[in-house]
Amino acid sequence: MKVLMLSKEFHDGEGVSEYCKNLAEYLVEKGHEATIVSFDDKADYHVDQRVKVQKVPLPIEGDNIYSWAMMMNNELKNRAREIVETEGYDLIHCNDWSTIPGGVSLKKHLELPLAVTVHSTENERGFEGDHAELISELEWEGTFEADAVFVTKDDTKNSVLFDLDVPEAKLKTVDPYSHDWQSRILNTYKEILKQKEKLLQEN
Amino acid sequence: MRPLFVTWEYPPYKAGGIAAHCEDLATTMAAQGHNPVVLTYGEKEETEYRDGVEIHRVPATDAASDTISWAMHLGHQIEKKAIELNKQEKFDLVHAHDWMAVPGATGIKKTLALPMVFTVHSTQEGRDGRDSEYQETIHNLEWYGTYEASQVITVGREFSEEVKNLYEVPENKINYIPNGVDLEKFDKHSYSINHNDYALDWEKIVLFVGRMYPQKGPGHLIEAMPEITDRYDEAKFVMCGSGATEYYKDIAKSKMGEKVHFPGYVSDRELLGLMKHAEMMVTPSVYEPFGIVPLEAAASNTMTVGSYVGGMKDTIVHEYTGLHSYPADPDSIAYQVNRALEDPGWNDWMGDNARERVEENFQWEQISAWTTGIYQDALR
Repeated sequence: MKVLMLSKEFHDGEGVSEYCKNLAEYLVEKGHEATIVSFDDKADYHVDQRVKVQKVPLPIEGDNIYSWAMMMNNELKNRAREIVETEGYDLIHCNDWSTIPGGVSLKKHLELPLAVTVHSTENERGFEGDHAELISELEWEGTFEADAVFVTKDDTKNSVLFDLDVPEAKLKTVDPYSHDWQSRILNTYKEILKQKEKLLQEN
Repeated sequence: MRPLFVTWEYPPYKAGGIAAHCEDLATTMAAQGHNPVVLTYGEKEETEYRDGVEIHRVPATDAASDTISWAMHLGHQIEKKAIELNKQEKFDLVHAHDWMAVPGATGIKKTLALPMVFTVHSTQEGRDGRDSEYQETIHNLEWYGTYEASQVITVGREFSEEVKNLYEVPENKINYIPNGVDLEKFDKHSYSINHNDYALDWEKIVLFVGRMYPQKGPGHLIEAMPEITDRYDEAKFVMCGSGATEYYKDIAKSKMGEKVHFPGYVSDRELLGLMKHAEMMVTPSVYEPFGIVPLEAAASNTMTVGSYVGGMKDTIVHEYTGLHSYPADPDSIAYQVNRALEDPGWNDWMGDNARERVEENFQWEQISAWTTGIYQDALR
Protein backbone atom coordinates (compact mmCIF):
# COMPACT_ATOMS: atom_id res chain seq x y z
CA MET A 1 0.00 0.00 0.00
CA LYS A 2 1.17 3.54 -0.79
CA VAL A 3 0.03 6.35 1.50
CA LEU A 4 0.60 10.06 0.93
CA MET A 5 0.30 12.28 3.99
CA LEU A 6 -0.16 16.05 4.05
CA SER A 7 0.97 18.20 6.96
CA LYS A 8 1.41 21.95 7.26
CA GLU A 9 4.83 21.42 8.84
CA PHE A 10 7.27 18.60 9.47
CA HIS A 11 9.98 18.82 12.08
CA ASP A 12 11.17 17.10 15.21
CA GLY A 13 9.18 17.62 18.39
CA GLU A 14 6.03 19.09 16.82
CA GLY A 15 2.79 17.20 17.52
CA VAL A 16 1.36 16.62 14.06
CA SER A 17 4.84 15.99 12.63
CA GLU A 18 5.52 13.29 15.23
CA TYR A 19 2.13 11.73 14.50
CA CYS A 20 2.89 11.54 10.77
CA LYS A 21 6.44 10.34 11.39
CA ASN A 22 5.40 7.49 13.74
CA LEU A 23 2.64 6.40 11.42
CA ALA A 24 4.86 6.55 8.33
CA GLU A 25 7.67 4.63 10.05
CA TYR A 26 5.22 1.92 11.08
CA LEU A 27 3.90 1.67 7.49
CA VAL A 28 7.35 1.25 5.92
CA GLU A 29 8.26 -1.26 8.65
CA LYS A 30 5.25 -3.32 7.59
CA GLY A 31 6.39 -3.23 3.98
CA HIS A 32 4.22 -0.36 2.75
CA GLU A 33 5.27 2.95 1.27
CA ALA A 34 4.74 6.35 2.83
CA THR A 35 5.41 9.89 1.64
CA ILE A 36 4.98 13.02 3.71
CA VAL A 37 4.43 16.30 1.86
CA SER A 38 4.65 19.42 3.98
CA PHE A 39 5.40 23.11 3.74
CA ASP A 40 9.13 23.78 3.87
CA ASP A 41 9.37 25.07 7.44
CA LYS A 42 13.21 24.99 7.18
CA ALA A 43 13.38 23.05 10.46
CA ASP A 44 15.23 19.76 11.08
CA TYR A 45 13.62 16.36 11.13
CA HIS A 46 14.85 12.84 11.65
CA VAL A 47 12.92 9.98 10.16
CA ASP A 48 13.46 6.40 8.95
CA GLN A 49 15.09 6.80 5.58
CA ARG A 50 12.56 4.55 3.90
CA VAL A 51 9.98 7.30 4.51
CA LYS A 52 10.00 9.88 1.71
CA VAL A 53 9.69 13.48 2.84
CA GLN A 54 8.99 16.32 0.43
CA LYS A 55 9.05 19.85 1.76
CA VAL A 56 7.71 22.47 -0.60
CA PRO A 57 8.55 26.16 -0.42
CA LEU A 58 5.82 28.79 -0.69
CA PRO A 59 6.74 31.95 -2.61
CA ILE A 60 3.97 34.08 -1.10
CA GLU A 61 2.95 35.01 2.44
CA GLY A 62 -0.65 35.62 3.44
CA ASP A 63 -1.75 38.40 5.79
CA ASN A 64 -3.04 35.80 8.25
CA ILE A 65 -2.95 32.07 8.94
CA TYR A 66 -6.06 31.37 6.85
CA SER A 67 -4.86 32.94 3.61
CA TRP A 68 -1.37 31.58 4.22
CA ALA A 69 -2.79 28.06 4.51
CA MET A 70 -4.95 28.43 1.40
CA MET A 71 -1.93 29.43 -0.68
CA MET A 72 0.31 26.83 0.98
CA ASN A 73 -2.15 24.14 -0.11
CA ASN A 74 -1.43 25.11 -3.73
CA GLU A 75 2.14 23.90 -3.31
CA LEU A 76 1.09 20.76 -1.42
CA LYS A 77 -1.37 19.86 -4.19
CA ASN A 78 1.14 20.48 -6.91
CA ARG A 79 3.85 18.27 -5.40
CA ALA A 80 1.43 15.58 -4.22
CA ARG A 81 -0.17 15.39 -7.67
CA GLU A 82 3.23 14.99 -9.35
CA ILE A 83 4.14 12.17 -6.97
CA VAL A 84 0.82 10.37 -7.36
CA GLU A 85 0.88 10.72 -11.14
CA THR A 86 4.37 9.33 -11.49
CA GLU A 87 4.42 6.72 -8.72
CA GLY A 88 0.76 5.80 -8.23
CA TYR A 89 -0.60 6.09 -4.70
CA ASP A 90 -3.54 4.39 -2.96
CA LEU A 91 -4.66 6.88 -0.35
CA ILE A 92 -4.33 10.48 0.83
CA HIS A 93 -4.20 11.25 4.53
CA CYS A 94 -4.42 14.87 5.59
CA ASN A 95 -4.09 16.48 8.98
CA ASP A 96 -6.23 19.26 10.41
CA TRP A 97 -7.97 22.09 8.56
CA SER A 98 -4.69 23.49 7.26
CA THR A 99 -4.27 20.66 4.73
CA ILE A 100 -7.94 19.96 4.04
CA PRO A 101 -8.25 22.17 0.90
CA GLY A 102 -5.41 20.20 -0.68
CA GLY A 103 -6.67 16.83 0.53
CA VAL A 104 -10.15 17.43 -0.86
CA SER A 105 -8.92 18.69 -4.25
CA LEU A 106 -6.54 15.73 -4.63
CA LYS A 107 -9.22 13.23 -3.64
CA LYS A 108 -11.60 14.64 -6.25
CA HIS A 109 -9.08 15.02 -9.05
CA LEU A 110 -7.12 11.82 -8.54
CA GLU A 111 -10.16 9.83 -7.36
CA LEU A 112 -8.34 8.47 -4.33
CA PRO A 113 -9.75 7.66 -0.90
CA LEU A 114 -9.22 10.34 1.74
CA ALA A 115 -8.47 9.94 5.44
CA VAL A 116 -8.49 12.97 7.74
CA THR A 117 -7.06 13.20 11.23
CA VAL A 118 -8.57 15.98 13.30
CA HIS A 119 -6.06 16.71 16.05
CA SER A 120 -8.36 19.39 17.46
CA THR A 121 -11.36 21.34 16.18
CA GLU A 122 -11.82 25.10 15.91
CA ASN A 123 -14.60 24.82 18.50
CA GLU A 124 -12.19 23.18 20.93
CA ARG A 125 -9.63 25.91 20.30
CA GLY A 126 -12.17 28.54 21.32
CA PHE A 127 -13.53 29.66 17.92
CA GLU A 128 -11.60 32.90 18.18
CA GLY A 129 -10.20 35.27 15.59
CA ASP A 130 -11.48 36.63 12.28
CA HIS A 131 -11.24 33.36 10.42
CA ALA A 132 -12.70 30.92 12.95
CA GLU A 133 -15.84 30.38 10.88
CA LEU A 134 -13.93 29.80 7.63
CA ILE A 135 -11.62 27.36 9.41
CA SER A 136 -14.54 25.53 10.95
CA GLU A 137 -16.17 25.31 7.50
CA LEU A 138 -12.99 23.66 6.22
CA GLU A 139 -13.11 21.14 9.07
CA TRP A 140 -16.70 20.38 8.13
CA GLU A 141 -15.79 20.02 4.44
CA GLY A 142 -12.81 17.75 5.11
CA THR A 143 -14.64 15.42 7.47
CA PHE A 144 -17.62 15.35 5.10
CA GLU A 145 -15.45 14.37 2.13
CA ALA A 146 -13.31 11.89 4.10
CA ASP A 147 -13.77 8.15 3.86
CA ALA A 148 -12.43 7.86 7.40
CA VAL A 149 -11.99 10.43 10.16
CA PHE A 150 -9.53 9.90 13.01
CA VAL A 151 -9.44 11.81 16.25
CA THR A 152 -6.79 11.50 18.94
CA LYS A 153 -8.95 12.03 22.05
CA ASP A 154 -12.54 11.93 23.33
CA ASP A 155 -13.02 15.70 23.53
CA THR A 156 -12.25 16.01 19.85
CA LYS A 157 -14.51 13.05 19.11
CA ASN A 158 -17.43 14.81 20.79
CA SER A 159 -16.77 18.04 18.93
CA VAL A 160 -16.46 16.25 15.59
CA LEU A 161 -19.71 14.38 16.25
CA PHE A 162 -21.76 17.32 17.44
CA ASP A 163 -20.14 20.41 15.90
CA LEU A 164 -19.24 18.90 12.53
CA ASP A 165 -22.01 16.27 12.29
CA VAL A 166 -19.69 13.48 11.27
CA PRO A 167 -21.45 10.08 11.22
CA GLU A 168 -20.10 7.83 13.94
CA ALA A 169 -19.61 4.99 11.46
CA LYS A 170 -16.62 6.65 9.79
CA LEU A 171 -15.13 8.09 12.96
CA LYS A 172 -12.39 6.40 15.01
CA THR A 173 -10.64 7.55 18.15
CA VAL A 174 -7.02 6.51 17.95
CA ASP A 175 -4.80 7.78 20.75
CA PRO A 176 -1.26 8.17 19.38
CA TYR A 177 0.13 7.41 22.85
CA SER A 178 -1.61 4.03 23.03
CA HIS A 179 0.04 0.73 22.24
CA ASP A 180 0.14 -0.31 18.58
CA TRP A 181 -2.11 2.61 17.55
CA GLN A 182 -0.68 2.67 14.04
CA SER A 183 -2.04 -0.81 13.33
CA ARG A 184 -5.57 0.46 13.92
CA ILE A 185 -5.03 3.19 11.33
CA LEU A 186 -3.53 0.70 8.89
CA ASN A 187 -6.52 -1.59 9.36
CA THR A 188 -8.85 1.27 8.58
CA TYR A 189 -6.85 2.06 5.43
CA LYS A 190 -7.27 -1.57 4.40
CA GLU A 191 -11.02 -1.44 5.02
CA ILE A 192 -11.37 1.73 2.94
CA LEU A 193 -9.41 0.22 0.05
CA LYS A 194 -11.41 -3.02 0.26
CA GLN A 195 -14.66 -1.06 0.07
CA LYS A 196 -13.38 0.93 -2.89
CA GLU A 197 -12.41 -2.32 -4.63
CA LYS A 198 -15.86 -3.70 -3.99
CA LEU A 199 -17.52 -0.59 -5.37
CA LEU A 200 -15.36 -0.77 -8.49
CA GLN A 201 -16.26 -4.41 -9.06
CA GLU A 202 -19.96 -3.75 -8.60
CA ASN A 203 -19.91 -1.00 -11.19
CA MET B 1 -9.66 25.64 -27.82
CA ARG B 2 -11.31 25.24 -24.43
CA PRO B 3 -10.06 27.95 -22.07
CA LEU B 4 -11.43 28.25 -18.54
CA PHE B 5 -12.06 31.85 -17.50
CA VAL B 6 -11.90 32.54 -13.78
CA THR B 7 -13.45 35.85 -12.76
CA TRP B 8 -15.23 36.91 -9.61
CA GLU B 9 -17.81 38.87 -11.60
CA TYR B 10 -19.64 38.08 -14.84
CA PRO B 11 -22.81 39.72 -16.20
CA PRO B 12 -25.47 40.19 -15.06
CA TYR B 13 -23.38 40.60 -11.89
CA LYS B 14 -20.96 43.47 -12.38
CA ALA B 15 -19.21 45.94 -10.17
CA GLY B 16 -16.29 47.03 -12.31
CA GLY B 17 -15.16 46.57 -15.88
CA ILE B 18 -13.97 42.97 -15.60
CA ALA B 19 -17.43 41.47 -16.03
CA ALA B 20 -18.05 43.23 -19.34
CA HIS B 21 -14.52 42.48 -20.54
CA CYS B 22 -14.89 38.76 -19.83
CA GLU B 23 -18.29 38.59 -21.47
CA ASP B 24 -17.21 40.36 -24.65
CA LEU B 25 -14.04 38.29 -24.90
CA ALA B 26 -15.72 34.94 -24.18
CA THR B 27 -18.62 35.63 -26.53
CA THR B 28 -16.29 36.63 -29.35
CA MET B 29 -14.10 33.55 -28.80
CA ALA B 30 -17.20 31.36 -28.98
CA ALA B 31 -18.23 33.05 -32.24
CA GLN B 32 -14.75 32.24 -33.58
CA GLY B 33 -15.25 28.54 -32.92
CA HIS B 34 -13.67 28.14 -29.48
CA ASN B 35 -15.37 26.70 -26.42
CA PRO B 36 -14.76 29.10 -23.54
CA VAL B 37 -16.07 28.13 -20.12
CA VAL B 38 -16.59 30.78 -17.45
CA LEU B 39 -16.35 29.99 -13.74
CA THR B 40 -17.55 32.71 -11.46
CA TYR B 41 -19.36 33.60 -8.27
CA GLY B 42 -23.13 33.29 -7.96
CA GLU B 43 -25.69 33.35 -5.20
CA LYS B 44 -26.41 29.71 -5.91
CA GLU B 45 -24.86 26.96 -7.96
CA GLU B 46 -26.10 27.22 -11.53
CA THR B 47 -25.17 26.64 -15.14
CA GLU B 48 -26.13 28.83 -18.03
CA TYR B 49 -25.41 28.73 -21.77
CA ARG B 50 -25.43 32.15 -23.32
CA ASP B 51 -24.13 33.23 -26.73
CA GLY B 52 -22.07 30.06 -27.09
CA VAL B 53 -20.45 30.46 -23.68
CA GLU B 54 -20.82 27.90 -20.90
CA ILE B 55 -21.15 29.76 -17.59
CA HIS B 56 -20.95 28.09 -14.18
CA ARG B 57 -21.60 29.92 -10.94
CA VAL B 58 -20.65 28.70 -7.50
CA PRO B 59 -21.76 30.22 -4.21
CA ALA B 60 -19.34 31.34 -1.52
CA THR B 61 -19.52 31.71 2.21
CA ASP B 62 -20.72 34.83 3.95
CA ALA B 63 -18.44 34.02 6.88
CA ALA B 64 -15.37 35.75 5.41
CA SER B 65 -14.30 38.80 7.37
CA ASP B 66 -12.52 40.50 4.49
CA THR B 67 -12.22 40.37 0.69
CA ILE B 68 -8.91 38.49 0.64
CA SER B 69 -10.23 35.58 2.67
CA TRP B 70 -13.45 35.67 0.65
CA ALA B 71 -11.40 35.39 -2.55
CA MET B 72 -9.42 32.49 -1.04
CA HIS B 73 -12.61 30.68 -0.07
CA LEU B 74 -14.26 31.35 -3.44
CA GLY B 75 -11.09 30.14 -5.14
CA HIS B 76 -11.36 26.79 -3.38
CA GLN B 77 -15.03 26.41 -4.42
CA ILE B 78 -14.18 27.37 -8.00
CA GLU B 79 -11.32 24.87 -8.08
CA LYS B 80 -13.58 22.02 -6.96
CA LYS B 81 -16.06 22.92 -9.71
CA ALA B 82 -13.22 23.03 -12.25
CA ILE B 83 -12.08 19.53 -11.20
CA GLU B 84 -15.61 18.24 -11.78
CA LEU B 85 -15.98 19.96 -15.17
CA ASN B 86 -12.54 18.82 -16.29
CA LYS B 87 -13.63 15.20 -15.87
CA GLN B 88 -16.37 15.69 -18.45
CA GLU B 89 -14.15 17.52 -20.91
CA LYS B 90 -10.59 18.64 -20.39
CA PHE B 91 -9.63 22.29 -20.36
CA ASP B 92 -6.65 23.56 -22.34
CA LEU B 93 -5.70 26.29 -19.91
CA VAL B 94 -6.96 28.55 -17.15
CA HIS B 95 -7.28 32.31 -17.70
CA ALA B 96 -7.52 34.50 -14.58
CA HIS B 97 -8.77 38.08 -14.48
CA ASP B 98 -7.30 40.30 -11.72
CA TRP B 99 -6.17 39.34 -8.23
CA MET B 100 -9.53 38.10 -6.95
CA ALA B 101 -9.23 35.22 -9.44
CA VAL B 102 -5.63 34.38 -8.51
CA PRO B 103 -6.32 31.94 -5.63
CA GLY B 104 -8.77 29.91 -7.73
CA ALA B 105 -6.77 30.00 -10.95
CA THR B 106 -3.46 29.06 -9.33
CA GLY B 107 -5.20 26.23 -7.47
CA ILE B 108 -6.62 24.94 -10.76
CA LYS B 109 -3.22 25.27 -12.40
CA LYS B 110 -1.57 23.20 -9.66
CA THR B 111 -4.23 20.52 -9.27
CA LEU B 112 -5.09 20.02 -12.94
CA ALA B 113 -1.59 20.76 -14.25
CA LEU B 114 -2.90 23.37 -16.69
CA PRO B 115 -1.04 26.36 -18.13
CA MET B 116 -2.25 29.67 -16.75
CA VAL B 117 -2.77 33.04 -18.43
CA PHE B 118 -3.31 36.10 -16.25
CA THR B 119 -4.88 39.38 -17.36
CA VAL B 120 -4.00 42.34 -15.16
CA HIS B 121 -6.70 44.99 -15.46
CA SER B 122 -5.30 47.24 -12.73
CA THR B 123 -2.85 47.07 -9.83
CA GLN B 124 -3.24 47.53 -6.09
CA GLU B 125 -0.37 50.03 -6.25
CA GLY B 126 -2.29 52.12 -8.79
CA ARG B 127 -5.72 51.72 -7.17
CA ASP B 128 -5.03 52.83 -3.63
CA GLY B 129 -1.45 51.98 -2.76
CA ARG B 130 0.07 49.39 -0.49
CA ASP B 131 0.59 50.94 2.88
CA SER B 132 -1.16 48.37 5.05
CA GLU B 133 -0.36 44.69 5.40
CA TYR B 134 -3.74 43.96 3.86
CA GLN B 135 -2.96 46.04 0.75
CA GLU B 136 0.50 44.49 0.58
CA THR B 137 -1.07 41.02 0.54
CA ILE B 138 -3.25 41.99 -2.44
CA HIS B 139 -0.14 43.31 -4.19
CA ASN B 140 1.60 40.00 -3.41
CA LEU B 141 -1.32 38.04 -4.85
CA GLU B 142 -1.04 40.09 -8.03
CA TRP B 143 2.66 39.31 -8.12
CA TYR B 144 1.93 35.61 -7.49
CA GLY B 145 -0.50 35.62 -10.44
CA THR B 146 2.17 36.99 -12.77
CA TYR B 147 4.72 34.55 -11.31
CA GLU B 148 2.55 31.48 -11.83
CA ALA B 149 1.20 32.50 -15.24
CA SER B 150 2.91 31.34 -18.43
CA GLN B 151 1.71 34.51 -20.14
CA VAL B 152 0.57 37.82 -18.69
CA ILE B 153 -1.81 40.12 -20.56
CA THR B 154 -2.12 43.80 -19.76
CA VAL B 155 -4.70 46.16 -21.18
CA GLY B 156 -2.54 49.22 -21.79
CA ARG B 157 0.77 49.85 -23.55
CA GLU B 158 2.22 52.02 -20.80
CA PHE B 159 0.49 49.86 -18.19
CA SER B 160 2.31 46.80 -19.48
CA GLU B 161 5.63 48.52 -18.64
CA GLU B 162 4.27 49.37 -15.20
CA VAL B 163 3.22 45.74 -14.59
CA LYS B 164 6.53 44.44 -15.90
CA ASN B 165 8.56 46.62 -13.56
CA LEU B 166 6.30 46.31 -10.53
CA TYR B 167 6.23 42.50 -10.49
CA GLU B 168 9.51 41.90 -12.31
CA VAL B 169 7.80 39.95 -15.08
CA PRO B 170 10.20 38.57 -17.72
CA GLU B 171 9.96 40.38 -21.05
CA ASN B 172 8.89 37.26 -22.98
CA LYS B 173 5.86 36.74 -20.72
CA ILE B 174 4.29 40.16 -20.94
CA ASN B 175 1.75 41.14 -23.60
CA TYR B 176 -0.31 44.20 -24.37
CA ILE B 177 -3.80 43.72 -25.74
CA PRO B 178 -6.16 46.68 -25.58
CA ASN B 179 -9.76 46.36 -24.53
CA GLY B 180 -12.36 46.39 -27.24
CA VAL B 181 -15.73 47.91 -27.92
CA ASP B 182 -18.77 46.01 -29.08
CA LEU B 183 -19.79 48.33 -31.91
CA GLU B 184 -22.95 46.38 -32.57
CA LYS B 185 -24.23 47.38 -29.13
CA PHE B 186 -23.83 51.02 -30.14
CA ASP B 187 -25.19 50.64 -33.66
CA LYS B 188 -28.26 48.60 -32.74
CA HIS B 189 -29.17 51.37 -30.42
CA SER B 190 -31.67 53.84 -31.88
CA TYR B 191 -33.05 55.33 -28.69
CA SER B 192 -32.83 59.10 -28.41
CA ILE B 193 -32.70 60.76 -25.05
CA ASN B 194 -34.78 63.75 -24.19
CA HIS B 195 -32.35 66.66 -24.25
CA ASN B 196 -34.43 68.63 -21.77
CA ASP B 197 -34.03 65.92 -19.13
CA TYR B 198 -30.42 67.08 -18.91
CA ALA B 199 -30.08 70.57 -20.30
CA LEU B 200 -31.87 73.60 -21.68
CA ASP B 201 -32.51 73.80 -25.44
CA TRP B 202 -29.50 75.99 -26.17
CA GLU B 203 -27.07 74.16 -23.89
CA LYS B 204 -24.47 71.62 -25.04
CA ILE B 205 -23.71 68.57 -22.90
CA VAL B 206 -20.18 68.02 -21.63
CA LEU B 207 -20.32 64.51 -20.23
CA PHE B 208 -18.43 62.68 -17.48
CA VAL B 209 -18.98 58.93 -17.10
CA GLY B 210 -17.18 56.95 -14.42
CA ARG B 211 -16.93 55.99 -10.80
CA MET B 212 -16.57 59.13 -8.75
CA TYR B 213 -13.31 58.52 -6.97
CA PRO B 214 -10.12 60.58 -6.93
CA GLN B 215 -8.47 58.15 -9.38
CA LYS B 216 -11.03 59.16 -12.02
CA GLY B 217 -10.45 62.87 -11.38
CA PRO B 218 -14.03 64.23 -11.14
CA GLY B 219 -12.76 66.91 -8.73
CA HIS B 220 -10.37 68.31 -11.33
CA LEU B 221 -13.17 68.62 -13.84
CA ILE B 222 -15.35 70.39 -11.28
CA GLU B 223 -12.52 72.84 -10.62
CA ALA B 224 -12.25 73.49 -14.36
CA MET B 225 -15.96 74.18 -14.84
CA PRO B 226 -16.09 77.93 -14.06
CA GLU B 227 -13.28 78.66 -16.53
CA ILE B 228 -15.32 76.88 -19.21
CA THR B 229 -18.71 78.48 -18.58
CA ASP B 230 -17.06 81.92 -18.28
CA ARG B 231 -16.20 81.64 -21.97
CA TYR B 232 -18.92 79.31 -23.24
CA ASP B 233 -22.12 79.71 -21.34
CA GLU B 234 -23.75 76.94 -23.43
CA ALA B 235 -21.65 74.27 -21.69
CA LYS B 236 -23.76 72.05 -19.42
CA PHE B 237 -21.95 69.44 -17.34
CA VAL B 238 -23.60 66.07 -16.84
CA MET B 239 -21.89 63.80 -14.33
CA CYS B 240 -22.86 60.11 -14.48
CA GLY B 241 -21.56 57.29 -12.34
CA SER B 242 -21.51 55.60 -8.98
CA GLY B 243 -19.08 56.13 -6.11
CA ALA B 244 -18.83 59.22 -3.94
CA THR B 245 -21.50 61.04 -5.97
CA GLU B 246 -22.99 62.98 -3.04
CA TYR B 247 -19.58 64.33 -2.09
CA TYR B 248 -18.82 65.58 -5.60
CA LYS B 249 -22.38 66.75 -6.16
CA ASP B 250 -22.21 69.04 -3.12
CA ILE B 251 -18.99 70.64 -4.31
CA ALA B 252 -20.13 71.00 -7.92
CA LYS B 253 -23.56 72.36 -7.03
CA SER B 254 -22.17 75.00 -4.69
CA LYS B 255 -19.79 76.15 -7.43
CA MET B 256 -21.92 75.78 -10.53
CA GLY B 257 -25.58 75.59 -9.49
CA GLU B 258 -27.82 74.72 -12.45
CA LYS B 259 -24.88 74.42 -14.86
CA VAL B 260 -24.07 70.97 -13.56
CA HIS B 261 -26.41 67.99 -13.35
CA PHE B 262 -26.02 64.68 -11.53
CA PRO B 263 -28.71 62.37 -12.93
CA GLY B 264 -27.99 59.56 -10.46
CA TYR B 265 -28.54 56.04 -11.78
CA VAL B 266 -29.00 55.90 -15.55
CA SER B 267 -29.85 52.73 -17.48
CA ASP B 268 -27.43 51.35 -20.09
CA ARG B 269 -29.85 52.44 -22.81
CA GLU B 270 -30.02 55.99 -21.48
CA LEU B 271 -26.23 56.11 -21.13
CA LEU B 272 -25.68 55.06 -24.75
CA GLY B 273 -28.12 57.77 -25.78
CA LEU B 274 -26.30 60.35 -23.70
CA MET B 275 -22.92 59.43 -25.16
CA LYS B 276 -24.24 59.76 -28.69
CA HIS B 277 -25.96 63.04 -27.92
CA ALA B 278 -23.21 64.73 -25.88
CA GLU B 279 -20.97 67.38 -27.40
CA MET B 280 -17.94 65.72 -25.88
CA MET B 281 -16.76 63.32 -23.20
CA VAL B 282 -14.31 64.36 -20.49
CA THR B 283 -12.15 61.70 -18.78
CA PRO B 284 -9.94 63.52 -16.27
CA SER B 285 -8.43 60.38 -14.66
CA VAL B 286 -5.12 60.65 -12.86
CA TYR B 287 -4.50 56.91 -13.19
CA GLU B 288 -6.00 54.76 -15.93
CA PRO B 289 -4.46 51.44 -17.02
CA PHE B 290 -6.77 51.37 -20.04
CA GLY B 291 -9.95 53.42 -19.71
CA ILE B 292 -12.85 52.15 -21.78
CA VAL B 293 -14.89 55.37 -21.69
CA PRO B 294 -13.05 57.21 -24.52
CA LEU B 295 -13.63 54.19 -26.77
CA GLU B 296 -17.31 54.01 -25.90
CA ALA B 297 -17.58 57.70 -26.68
CA ALA B 298 -15.74 57.06 -29.94
CA ALA B 299 -18.16 54.27 -30.83
CA SER B 300 -20.89 56.92 -30.41
CA ASN B 301 -19.06 59.38 -32.71
CA THR B 302 -18.21 61.58 -29.74
CA MET B 303 -14.74 63.01 -29.14
CA THR B 304 -13.05 62.88 -25.72
CA VAL B 305 -10.96 65.34 -23.75
CA GLY B 306 -8.87 62.95 -21.66
CA SER B 307 -5.80 63.09 -19.44
CA TYR B 308 -2.51 62.14 -21.01
CA VAL B 309 -2.07 59.08 -18.78
CA GLY B 310 -1.87 55.30 -19.18
CA GLY B 311 -4.14 53.78 -21.79
CA MET B 312 -5.54 57.13 -22.90
CA LYS B 313 -2.17 57.99 -24.45
CA ASP B 314 -3.14 55.35 -27.02
CA THR B 315 -6.92 55.49 -27.10
CA ILE B 316 -7.01 59.23 -27.80
CA VAL B 317 -5.02 60.77 -30.66
CA HIS B 318 -4.50 64.43 -29.81
CA GLU B 319 -6.24 66.86 -32.18
CA TYR B 320 -7.45 63.95 -34.32
CA THR B 321 -9.85 61.79 -32.25
CA GLY B 322 -9.94 64.01 -29.17
CA LEU B 323 -7.76 66.22 -27.03
CA HIS B 324 -5.26 65.45 -24.30
CA SER B 325 -5.16 67.47 -21.11
CA TYR B 326 -2.51 67.29 -18.39
CA PRO B 327 -3.54 65.02 -15.53
CA ALA B 328 -4.74 66.70 -12.33
CA ASP B 329 -4.62 70.09 -14.04
CA PRO B 330 -7.98 71.95 -14.10
CA ASP B 331 -6.56 74.80 -16.22
CA SER B 332 -5.47 72.33 -18.85
CA ILE B 333 -8.87 70.58 -18.85
CA ALA B 334 -10.63 73.95 -19.23
CA TYR B 335 -8.27 75.00 -22.02
CA GLN B 336 -8.87 71.84 -24.07
CA VAL B 337 -12.64 71.74 -23.49
CA ASN B 338 -12.81 75.37 -24.59
CA ARG B 339 -10.84 74.65 -27.76
CA ALA B 340 -13.40 72.02 -28.72
CA LEU B 341 -16.37 74.22 -27.87
CA GLU B 342 -14.88 77.05 -29.90
CA ASP B 343 -14.97 75.07 -33.14
CA PRO B 344 -18.02 72.77 -33.41
CA GLY B 345 -17.05 71.62 -36.89
CA TRP B 346 -13.66 70.46 -35.67
CA ASN B 347 -15.32 68.85 -32.65
CA ASP B 348 -17.61 66.77 -34.92
CA TRP B 349 -14.73 65.89 -37.25
CA MET B 350 -12.76 64.49 -34.27
CA GLY B 351 -15.83 62.47 -33.20
CA ASP B 352 -16.06 60.89 -36.65
CA ASN B 353 -12.33 60.14 -36.71
CA ALA B 354 -12.60 58.54 -33.27
CA ARG B 355 -15.33 56.22 -34.54
CA GLU B 356 -13.29 55.26 -37.59
CA ARG B 357 -10.24 54.55 -35.45
CA VAL B 358 -12.23 52.27 -33.12
CA GLU B 359 -13.55 50.34 -36.12
CA GLU B 360 -9.99 49.76 -37.27
CA ASN B 361 -8.19 49.13 -34.01
CA PHE B 362 -10.38 48.16 -31.08
CA GLN B 363 -12.67 45.38 -32.26
CA TRP B 364 -13.23 42.28 -30.15
CA GLU B 365 -12.72 39.99 -33.18
CA GLN B 366 -9.13 41.18 -33.37
CA ILE B 367 -8.60 41.15 -29.61
CA SER B 368 -9.95 37.63 -29.31
CA ALA B 369 -7.61 36.42 -32.05
CA TRP B 370 -4.63 38.04 -30.30
CA THR B 371 -5.68 36.40 -27.04
CA THR B 372 -5.92 32.92 -28.51
CA GLY B 373 -2.50 33.56 -30.06
CA ILE B 374 -1.17 34.13 -26.54
CA TYR B 375 -2.90 30.91 -25.46
CA GLN B 376 -0.81 29.11 -28.08
CA ASP B 377 2.34 30.60 -26.52
CA ALA B 378 1.17 29.49 -23.07
CA LEU B 379 0.59 25.94 -24.33
CA ARG B 380 4.11 25.64 -25.70
